[in-house]
Amino acid sequence: MSWRQIFLVLKREYITRARSKGFIISTILVPVGFAALFGFGILMAVWESDTKFEIGIVDETGVIFPALQQINEERYLDFTYLSTDSLRAKVQSRQITGYIVLSEETIVNGKNPEMIYTGAGGLQLLGSIRSDLREAVREEKLRRADVSAEIQEIFESRIGLDTRRLTTEGEETDDDAGFLAILGMVMGVVIFGSIVGYGGFLVRSVIEEKTNRIVEVITSSVRPIELLLGKMAGVGALAMTQIGIWLTAIIVMASLAGPVAGMLLESQSSAMTEMSGEMAEVQAELPAFLDIPTVETSIIVYFVIFFIIGYLLYSSLFAAIGAAADSETDTQQLMFPIMIPIFISYFIMFQAASNPDGAIVVAGSLIPFLSPIVMVTRIAITDVPFWHIGLSIFLSVIAFIGTMWLSTKIYKVGILNYGKSAGWKDLGKWLKH
Amino acid sequence: MSVIKVEGINKTFGDTKAVQNVSFEVENGRIFGLLGPNGAGKTTTIRMINYIMPADSGTIHINGKEVSPLTQRMIGYMPEERGLYKKMKVGEQLMYLAQLKGMESADARKEIKYWLERFGASDWHAKKVGELSKGMSQKIQFIATIVHDPDIYIFDEPFSGLDPINSELLKKIIIELREKGKAVLFSTHRMEQVEQMCDDICLFNNGRVVLEGKLREIKQKFGNNTVLLEFEGDSSFLDELSDVRINNRSTNFAEIRILNGQDHQEILKKAMAHSIIHKFELVEPSLTEIFISTVGEDNIKPEELQ
Repeated sequence: MSWRQIFLVLKREYITRARSKGFIISTILVPVGFAALFGFGILMAVWESDTKFEIGIVDETGVIFPALQQINEERYLDFTYLSTDSLRAKVQSRQITGYIVLSEETIVNGKNPEMIYTGAGGLQLLGSIRSDLREAVREEKLRRADVSAEIQEIFESRIGLDTRRLTTEGEETDDDAGFLAILGMVMGVVIFGSIVGYGGFLVRSVIEEKTNRIVEVITSSVRPIELLLGKMAGVGALAMTQIGIWLTAIIVMASLAGPVAGMLLESQSSAMTEMSGEMAEVQAELPAFLDIPTVETSIIVYFVIFFIIGYLLYSSLFAAIGAAADSETDTQQLMFPIMIPIFISYFIMFQAASNPDGAIVVAGSLIPFLSPIVMVTRIAITDVPFWHIGLSIFLSVIAFIGTMWLSTKIYKVGILNYGKSAGWKDLGKWLKH
Repeated sequence: MSVIKVEGINKTFGDTKAVQNVSFEVENGRIFGLLGPNGAGKTTTIRMINYIMPADSGTIHINGKEVSPLTQRMIGYMPEERGLYKKMKVGEQLMYLAQLKGMESADARKEIKYWLERFGASDWHAKKVGELSKGMSQKIQFIATIVHDPDIYIFDEPFSGLDPINSELLKKIIIELREKGKAVLFSTHRMEQVEQMCDDICLFNNGRVVLEGKLREIKQKFGNNTVLLEFEGDSSFLDELSDVRINNRSTNFAEIRILNGQDHQEILKKAMAHSIIHKFELVEPSLTEIFISTVGEDNIKPEELQ
């Protein structure tokens, strides 16, 4: 095997593809789409704090309104002095969002109050009004029942759940289980998409050389295995370039988006509330999707390792399919058996997100062909014993040697087999050669 | 000195014996024709010489070395199925192919420039192959084959699909290469092309070599026993002739091979009795005729020689 030849093939594959319009467009389009998504998210956040809903309260009890006002000064307005007719008129003319008449019965009998409103605000508004009312009414009831301060406190207490992870090194870290589950699945999906996407690239590239009939000229200078490895490496390098560009763009945007959104929200809230717009408070109000926890380097390293393993394992098979098929439409039938493990691992990945140490997930993370997608998700979500990772990589390497052997045999014969796509029978014959 | 030495090679695909016990030698400064009908095993043999496929048994030596990636560089090969990368620029494509043949980029650049200029194609350097006409891309294909200045040139069915201008150009290149002392091997199923160009021939049929040697000697061996007849009038007398084989028959022409030592003057007499004779010539048999008489008429499907 000559590295010079492999490198020449790699270089050609990489340069001609990287210059193609399709590649350039998709490389630009993804970050642009992501930027749009970010922008949209920020805009949503800004608009959300922009709209204020004013609810007129007709407080017949005289005690609930002050409590409501304490909860949300801006939202609740005291309209006790107005008649329901003029309140209706206000709602009709959209001066206020709605009004609620609070009667003594609500406190005594627990009768549901009724809100007449424009329909604006959606579920979020209704939910928050409901809980505000509940709190105010409960407070009043407790006061009237004349219970001790201790019991009042009991009612006021709300227990949440704080979580911290303890690593094997005895270090305590903030728990980002939710984020990590998403990260794990995103990495799994990226590997899944790359295998299918760049695998397809490779299939087309191999078929192109066959249909162009240049392959015989090439094989009079290059061994088939050199051509195969060069093409795999070329498309692989292309994949890494593209994903690298995407990741860099996304990380830069994400790190910029936080402060930008913060600034926007700050000016917004200071204008509106004239509160002392401390940055810390503003940060706390940032939409959750901008709050990105730091990712351990080891996760990134494993992602790269399993990305490469997954790509190599599958791309050798995809190249063999390209060699066996005579045109792109003929690849479907041959592609099917390869897509099965990809999809199985895709489904196990979702299982991994909810139960990363389940038997199926552990098995999936060890079995070659499934492991690239499943293991990466698992590593992100849970603490995977090192021997699992080691075994998984070892088995994949063995499998890769197998697929390479298989593919080289098919490729060698297939690229010179014009005119007719090979069936399974032909492939069997080629392997026996 | 023989630069290609093929000794007893065999190749089997499944149940098909594509090449059986084939041996021949190609020498420097000569043009070697590999002849035979389609499916006779010519392309398979050529692929084995080019180390694209291994032989099942037997040996092939190029310049005294057994075939390997190294010997691939000594050969310029133009396959029957020709093609180039459509989306690549002419210059880049030639550079890539030259580098694959082991050339350094500086030398390659010089050679590419020389050949593009020689074929009046300098303007195409930055054009994509897909934008070229068929004739133009055929010229680029020639350059791709010869740019690394190898000692040996192999053309598989080189004239099929070429336009007349490029056919002539290729003939010129081939003859020029011979004059430079290079070895040229080409295969064809169109026998008449070989007559004008080849020094040596090797006749294939059903995967075997049926006849091999210097074209001159082979022709002499078959003797002056073919009549070329040009006439005007009734041609039915041709059907009455016995112990002859008529090739290339048309309304006023016939190539008649005389068998069993019959007297050719008898044929002339019969012809004169029926028609006006414009030409009567005694010649060596054509290669097609030699091929037919070598493998036997019954072993040939007529469409194979078209």
